[in-house]
Amino acid sequence: MKLALREMRRRPGRFVVAWTILALIAVLLMFLGGLLDGLLGSQTGAYRSQQADLIVYSENARESLPRSQITPEVKAEVERVEGVAEVGSLGSTQLGARPEDDPDSRDLMAVVLFGYEVAPRGVPEDPPGLGKVVADSSLRSDGVSVGDTLLIGPARTPVEVVGMVDATTYSGQASLWASIETWRAVTDENRPDLAGRTTVQALMVRVEAGDDPEKVAAAIDDATGETKTLTISAAIEALPGVSQQRSTFSQIIGVTALVAGVVVALFFALITVERTALYGILKAIGASNRTLVGGVVLQALVVSLAAALVGAVAALVFDVLIEPGALPFAATPARLLTSTMLLVIAGVVGSAFSLRRVLRVDPAAAIGGTP
Amino acid sequence: MRLAFTEIRRAPVRYLLLVAAVALLMFLILFQQALQDGLVTAFVGAVRNQSAPVLVYSVDAQRTLQASVIPPPLEAELRAVDGVGDVARVDQGTFTVEVDGELRDATILGTDNAEIFHPTELVEGREPETAGEAIGSSVDFAVGDEVEIVPFGDAEATTITVVGLARDVQLNVTPTLFTDSETFAEADRAANPDVAVVLPNALAVVPASGVSAEDVVDAIDAAVPDAEALTRTEAADTAPGVAQVRQSFQIIFALYVLVIPLVTGLFFLIITLQKADALTLLRAIGAPASTLVRTLLLQVGAVLVLGLLVGTLLYAPLSQMQVGGLKLQFDAGSVLAWAVLIAVLGLLSVFAAMRRVLRIDPVEATIGPGVR
Repeated sequence: MKLALREMRRRPGRFVVAWTILALIAVLLMFLGGLLDGLLGSQTGAYRSQQADLIVYSENARESLPRSQITPEVKAEVERVEGVAEVGSLGSTQLGARPEDDPDSRDLMAVVLFGYEVAPRGVPEDPPGLGKVVADSSLRSDGVSVGDTLLIGPARTPVEVVGMVDATTYSGQASLWASIETWRAVTDENRPDLAGRTTVQALMVRVEAGDDPEKVAAAIDDATGETKTLTISAAIEALPGVSQQRSTFSQIIGVTALVAGVVVALFFALITVERTALYGILKAIGASNRTLVGGVVLQALVVSLAAALVGAVAALVFDVLIEPGALPFAATPARLLTSTMLLVIAGVVGSAFSLRRVLRVDPAAAIGGTP
Repeated sequence: MRLAFTEIRRAPVRYLLLVAAVALLMFLILFQQALQDGLVTAFVGAVRNQSAPVLVYSVDAQRTLQASVIPPPLEAELRAVDGVGDVARVDQGTFTVEVDGELRDATILGTDNAEIFHPTELVEGREPETAGEAIGSSVDFAVGDEVEIVPFGDAEATTITVVGLARDVQLNVTPTLFTDSETFAEADRAANPDVAVVLPNALAVVPASGVSAEDVVDAIDAAVPDAEALTRTEAADTAPGVAQVRQSFQIIFALYVLVIPLVTGLFFLIITLQKADALTLLRAIGAPASTLVRTLLLQVGAVLVLGLLVGTLLYAPLSQMQVGGLKLQFDAGSVLAWAVLIAVLGLLSVFAAMRRVLRIDPVEATIGPGVR
């Protein structure tokens, strides 16, 4: 093992080639992963931050919040279901927002106004008063801060920002969290086609401690006969595009890791050819196959880890440099770790390709110069 | 030439590994190119492949058809702008529909003037002639499909019959139907029985005679602050998400394209350094430098051609499939463009190896390293 590391210290040039290419692939892997996490995060933040256990849609909405409609009667039925501890309405409207001092601006902030009764994480349990909202912190990049007034929609309905909350974006847009009354008032003013509705879009349900959320979900659907109830994690997966994006990106990441394995195999095959005589000598003086194989694997591990380090640093720098809202990108520790593991596995498996040649080296032939 | 291929035959594994790397990278590039094209088309195909030269949204919609609402006063203002010729209302909604007993999502686009707003080309069937008929996106519907709008509560169900099909006319990656305003309103009332009023989402505008689309866009934007007019191409290319998708994929493509010449160039440089003694000997016994360079280029060419071919063959069956609701397409032009780019970069990448070959001094074969 010491020999393998010493070789890397004494002849770094021999490994620079594999490391350079692997580092580029590591950047690719982490960029792809960051892009996936950024995309998913910006689409699902409002759901991920929910503290409720279940979300209830109308049956025919196919798990789409804008298409779902829940009547007060259905809400009352849900409240009566055994195992249900708390039920809150949820409504959403996607609109443009302008700063108060520039009411005619054509450069709008894309926002989703949520009306809630069961608070997501970071949002007050009691919804803000009429005309007041808690804003997603991504709006800070548009210059929005606590105390500002935003003019919402074509009717320029004023709402005052009374707090900020992190990571609650939805469908790639910043969220504003308000009471159901504020949501209804803003929607009525700005969407005349939806004005006067008495329905909400969904219900957020907390189940009694110790009850199985999936059983309660089934009980709710049985009781109402016209709802589709999902756990929050199932609802996130059911959001349009989420599972498709995840599977497509995962396939691309998988093939990219395969390329990493092939590249490591290729360059370790070349290095092994160069070192055939050296292996012969080592074997002649008593080095075991295990020692030699261990050395090759260790070198692949070091090269892969060093490449992963470059990829991780590049991803973190990219995450810092990228302008908010320009590109959905998030360098999360979990993703960096997963990508590193993937790269290391690809590197070690790739290096194993050269092991057969190492094991086959005949000390006498190698020293004699006819490998 | 014989030398080049004999060497590959003698050590096939290392060359095959390089072919595999090039093939996988080519496959990834083509797959992602198809994904990008499929994604953009599925997002805004209905906007790009419709007939109206200009679309007008409310400025608050930020170029999104579904977020736009044109109330009557705004519509009146827009119709009065100089340069505006014929105008059609465009309605949009996403509904849960049932086709052959299967529930799906569908976007319905309605218009009060199908002369102005309709898919540019039918691939099958005919134009709608009466209310209740529609043109469907060809990847999602068949002529004769009966599409039932799933009603909310006790509302009355309504059914639309698909009478024609158009290619690449999806909106927001959902099956899409083009129909008339009356049919749209019925569908909307079935899904939203308490809807107060059906307002158009956008206006499709044909410029007056002698006025260009760009001029009418400028005129509308100058005259009506609450509206945003866009040419058909602008409306498709600047729709939210489209630019982001393109930008993200461009970064990915750039990184992949960088990997291929780097792997190829460094591979051949190492190989050249490893066989420097043999090359020196060949030079000493009279092989001209041009022969050795030709041999090198032949090997690079063979690896690249084989890699690109295998990558394309891997991609070909995938390009006939749907991935996550996206219809992929085998775009021969795109495949050729990528192949040429990668081949050129691959050939350029062996410049360092070529320089090393040209610098070989035949005399070194006679004096050996110990004398130097």
